[in-house]
Amino acid sequence: MWFLAALARMQPATESQAEDVSCLRRIASGDGGAAAGLYDRHSRALYSLILRIVGDEAEAEDVLQEVFAQAFRQASRYDTSRGAVAAWLLMMARSRAIDRLRARRTRFEGRTGEVTLEEMPDAQPSVASVMLNDEQTRSVQRALGELPLMQRIAIELAYYEGLSHSEIAERLEQPLGTVKTRIRLGLLKLRDVLTEGQA
Amino acid sequence: MSTHDELKANAAGYALGSLDAQERQAFESHVAECAECSAEVASLRPIVGALAQAVPQVTPRAELRDRVLRETFGGAGVALPPSPNASADHRSPGGGGQTRPGSGAIRPAAPVWLALAAAIVIAIGAAIYAVRVQRQIGELQARVDQAQAAAAVLAAPDLARIDLQGQSVAPDARARALWSRSRGLVFTAANLPPAPAGKAYQVWVVTAQMPISAGLLVTDPIGVGTQYYSTPPDIAAPVAVAVTLEPAGGVPAPTGEKYLVGMP
Repeated sequence: MWFLAALARMQPATESQAEDVSCLRRIASGDGGAAAGLYDRHSRALYSLILRIVGDEAEAEDVLQEVFAQAFRQASRYDTSRGAVAAWLLMMARSRAIDRLRARRTRFEGRTGEVTLEEMPDAQPSVASVMLNDEQTRSVQRALGELPLMQRIAIELAYYEGLSHSEIAERLEQPLGTVKTRIRLGLLKLRDVLTEGQA
Repeated sequence: MSTHDELKANAAGYALGSLDAQERQAFESHVAECAECSAEVASLRPIVGALAQAVPQVTPRAELRDRVLRETFGGAGVALPPSPNASADHRSPGGGGQTRPGSGAIRPAAPVWLALAAAIVIAIGAAIYAVRVQRQIGELQARVDQAQAAAAVLAAPDLARIDLQGQSVAPDARARALWSRSRGLVFTAANLPPAPAGKAYQVWVVTAQMPISAGLLVTDPIGVGTQYYSTPPDIAAPVAVAVTLEPAGGVPAPTGEKYLVGMP
């Protein structure tokens, strides 16, 4: 099917994946140099995502530290069949950053999120393991910028703020069905951007 | 019972992880048996993954590297390799070679014409200065008015903060909007590229109904702009604030490229 062919073209740069996996092996055996290597390769991407979510530099630094602490702790248990190390790190970064955001929201508004991140499907790393290359990432970024504003806001609230459909509907004062449709249309459009150049 | 189409409408939300718990369970049991929905989810996963990378890239502070590695890895005993760019940004404190002019030696008296010339230069300078000061006072008064309005916003009990992210045309741009329904909007942006001739940046308060123009944003040569805008007190709560590039003078509804977007 067409999307499987598209996925096949989205493999991570295999050398950097091999290097990451070897780093994790060495970290598991206590090699500080390997930890530094992993940090140097991924800290920028992770910090950028975390900063985008928490919006505060000091807090982003704390979250980045937590992510690496978690990665180093779990290095021995990392299973290569789960996919790219970079995707695994990004997934942890998003989860931790959104936890921060939720904790802050609860603190300020006395509100509790009904959905915890553990319940969310993307907390299972095996499925989000396909990494896009730089060029594809740029196309997604560009395409995101070209989406109709309300589609894009709905997607960003879901992904970067961890809000559920009903929370987004409440925030935007829109019917739930409208929010769902916007998210779906937006994601399908992003997908088309990635696949149309390859069809 | 939900129909297939109703369930399929949730595929994107499932891939994005934004379904409510109940919906998610319903979708999960459906997707296990439905090839069509499972294909849609699989095709959207990489797009969701790409969102993690589709953010403005920011390098963390160099000091953070040591802190993270020291505190999370092996403690003090681990010798850390130097950062690949460690030596790049050492700034030397102070200006270095400062010269001290006229170190106290008594000079011979200058000729009278030199004193006269100096007096004339000073007089002309003073006149120019006075005109300039006059103009500056006018500008400063306007700025003080702006600053007072801005300070009133910052102290507002109903203050909301909205951070804006640079878009693909200006990934390094940053901005923050501070909005109070009762007192107005303070908007400050940095790293915006200079607006081309005939164009201007326009700030929009986007409500669920429509985008409302806050006004134009003037930036200095390094791309920094701060501005106070009044907003109508009956405005609906903003769901986003955005900056677009529009024809100079502004337009009633956004038409141009988005440079900054942020949500509360």
